Amino acid sequence: MSAAGRVRAAAQAAPRPPRPRRRRVRTALALTLAVLTAATACTSGEPAGPAETAYQEGTLRVLASSELADMEPVLEQARKATGVTVKLTWSGTLDAAEQVASGQADGRYDAIWLSSNDYLRLRPEAAGKLSSETPVMSSPVALGVKPEALARLGWKPGEVTWPAVHEAVAAGRLTYGMTDPVRSNSGFSALVSVASGLSGAQAALSDADVKAATPRLKEFFTGQKLTSGSSGWLATAYGRRGDVDALVNYESVLLSMNRDAKDGGAPLTVVRPRDGVVTAHYPLTLLASAPAGARDAGRALTDWLRGPEAQRAITGQTFRRPVAAGVAPAAGLDQEKRRELPFPGSRVVADGLLASYENELRRPSRTVYVLDTSGSMSDEDRIGRLRSALTDLTGTGTSGTGRRFRDREEVTLLPFGSKVKEVNTHVVEPGNPGPALDAIRRDVKSLEPDGGTAIYGSLEAAYEQLGKGGTDAFTSIVLMTDGENTEGVGAKHFDSFYAKLPEAQKRTPVFAVLFGDSDRKELTRITELTGGRLFDATGGTSALAGAFEEIRGYQ
Amino acid sequence: MGFREHAAPVRRILGIVLGLLLIGGVLYVALQGQDRPESTATKTVRGVIGSEKSEFFRDPDVVKALAAKGYIVKTETSGSWAMDQLALKEFDFAFPGSSEPAKEVAAAAGLKGAQETRPFYSPLVVIARPGAAQVLATGGLATMTGKNSGTLLMGPFLKAAAEDRTWQQLAGSSAHAELTGTVFVKTTDPASSNSGALFLAATSNVANGSTVVADDAGIERTAPLMRKLISVQGALETSTDDPFRAFISGSGEPLILVYESQVASLLLQKQDPGEMVVLYPDTTVNTAHTFVPLSEDAKELGTLLATDPKLRELAVLRGFRPQDGVAEFTAATAPHAGYLNPGLAGIRQVGTPTVKILMALAQRAKG
Repeated sequence: MSAAGRVRAAAQAAPRPPRPRRRRVRTALALTLAVLTAATACTSGEPAGPAETAYQEGTLRVLASSELADMEPVLEQARKATGVTVKLTWSGTLDAAEQVASGQADGRYDAIWLSSNDYLRLRPEAAGKLSSETPVMSSPVALGVKPEALARLGWKPGEVTWPAVHEAVAAGRLTYGMTDPVRSNSGFSALVSVASGLSGAQAALSDADVKAATPRLKEFFTGQKLTSGSSGWLATAYGRRGDVDALVNYESVLLSMNRDAKDGGAPLTVVRPRDGVVTAHYPLTLLASAPAGARDAGRALTDWLRGPEAQRAITGQTFRRPVAAGVAPAAGLDQEKRRELPFPGSRVVADGLLASYENELRRPSRTVYVLDTSGSMSDEDRIGRLRSALTDLTGTGTSGTGRRFRDREEVTLLPFGSKVKEVNTHVVEPGNPGPALDAIRRDVKSLEPDGGTAIYGSLEAAYEQLGKGGTDAFTSIVLMTDGENTEGVGAKHFDSFYAKLPEAQKRTPVFAVLFGDSDRKELTRITELTGGRLFDATGGTSALAGAFEEIRGYQ
Repeated sequence: MGFREHAAPVRRILGIVLGLLLIGGVLYVALQGQDRPESTATKTVRGVIGSEKSEFFRDPDVVKALAAKGYIVKTETSGSWAMDQLALKEFDFAFPGSSEPAKEVAAAAGLKGAQETRPFYSPLVVIARPGAAQVLATGGLATMTGKNSGTLLMGPFLKAAAEDRTWQQLAGSSAHAELTGTVFVKTTDPASSNSGALFLAATSNVANGSTVVADDAGIERTAPLMRKLISVQGALETSTDDPFRAFISGSGEPLILVYESQVASLLLQKQDPGEMVVLYPDTTVNTAHTFVPLSEDAKELGTLLATDPKLRELAVLRGFRPQDGVAEFTAATAPHAGYLNPGLAGIRQVGTPTVKILMALAQRAKG
């Protein structure tokens, strides 16, 4: 827990877009509540109020990778030096690419600051949308391994290769956590690395390489015991679990975790596999659509960030590698060179790799949706919003990767009012997802508001439902409620129910969605108890759909 | 201690000096004003430039020199071959890395007979770490001309590329963890960025029997090799700044195509380039960074950059070779001769194909 403390606080507290003031951000950072609103509000594509969309002199609106939360102190220094305030809104790499390519980002953001623009550049529509790109710092995606696992495997950190990691996993001797490649660049980079390493590709990955490596990739991903929509939450979940041997994350995140480990938590050994890594270069990229004033501010900011003072601060405080000549990397950053594994050069290959991961390579998901359909859900057409948010998750005929329930996924809908109303389970059949998705759509359509709110009893039923099935899956519960618990058992009952669950079942997190008049405190308690996370869907009509979509990264 | 004892007098003296400086400054400004009454009206001009010139325009001395001539220059960077896609109305000038995209920019902006100037140029070089350079030399793909400089032999290099040669197949590579995988030069996207496009111009010339590719037959002849050079790289960036910074930060590919100016600038600014060998390809294209004025305000700026002695000197300090300025460049870089080849000795300079041919090659290469 403590190992991840600081990282968690930094990466999870997403400042809401309309609050540029640094003081507020600080306050937000102090909270350890896992509330995500920013990216949700952006993905939904709803128009925000004019006050929050227009460019304000000297405040740069930036769509950014969530791990950049650790740059707050450096950006504060930047503000003092340049007068430019940076307002960061978190986004996953693919999601940001979509926003930029589709034009949604135009007028809403002045710049993007992602770990990499590689995926974005595969979209031809993005070509005219980007102005100056300035790489600011770099960090490879690495493997953080517990010392005891390292000893058990007899590994020398400098000698480990991706095939060696695969072999250890296949032999059941190594487990790890990794972010969802569809939502987070560190996961995507790891997927590219391991596919390169296991296929023996000598150049940029091709479809044939991916196909050839598929059986071994499948074995490799049996060892993935933790998934996450963001690098920050992954570190938190890892700290909580304790039984996972390793973590795939940026070198900078792993070293920061080690630094912040209180009470002598054993530091992770950072392994940069000898056969190659994928490195993030964090290009601060101005959007061509930004007003001239914003682009000037962006230029002043990047000039400063590339200067020696900033570069020293960056490497010293965040363990990223400097890109300015003459500035030495922070102590602890190993200087031995590594091959840079090429990122796929075509969208077909990149998306193909992601689709295989989603539908074939990764362990399947078992997901229970605990859905409040109490009487109050008829207010403000909440039930309509719920139906539409859930229907979105079934995708359309042409949905991109990650836009619908995955092949092999077991989806259970558990609507409740005064008690559990129904338990409907559907499994998405590989190659023939239509029938299950249709069935889910039908179930969703028939949801009707009626009765009280039995939160805890319904949660217990959800755990019981998951207890009936296989364990070799990512299990999770999504709790959506628009009110407080009014019927059935209470919080105390649920606490002791949870305490009596077998260890394996305790690892099923509850992802709660704050909606309507639900009680933030009550939901926070549930997410903290179960190792889940709270998602805020109170910000506008499409926020619920945004939250449901975002939670997909954690399932 | 000494300072504290004399703190009061020192402060007084400082005050006087500062006062004098201030008066001097005012006088200077006033005199300047009298000197050139027509140019004191400062013009702010906005330009889009190739990223390789970004440091030049950000250089405080350049800013000062331009201000003295009545210009505040604001720049944004873009891939040279993508500039014609930008909203050019917002810019007073464009400054791509070679003459060919300049034509496209002028056409896109609807300009006819724009007064283009070519203030400076910089040849393309391949940077490597000593281990990689040594392995290339041992394998006959390069020759070393010094500890930190050498020549990339395009004939043997392209033959190796055609055969998908890997680093593992070259003697001596096993001592270096990073030297695995197909041997390639990391370029920028040839469809949008100048350096990548010029790399195709040079390599296609070699592959076409030392002749500029000028027709479909030439494209057919060279396209398969161009494809090998580009497609192995995977995702391509639009500016040399990305791979160059990757190199500086200790990551990146073993062989990276950059402008000579990027290396020379580091050396002349006395920044440690780290372990670096500069390989000059034995065949390079002869083309200069080309200034295209898009508005009345920037009409004279190109000529100023090309002819003003102070700006020429500053361009050299940022690693560029000013127009007809080999002597200036050679003199300034003399202390760093171990890295550079100012006279381009032993380098064959060739012409570039037309934009149409080059873009067709780029498309086939990325295909």
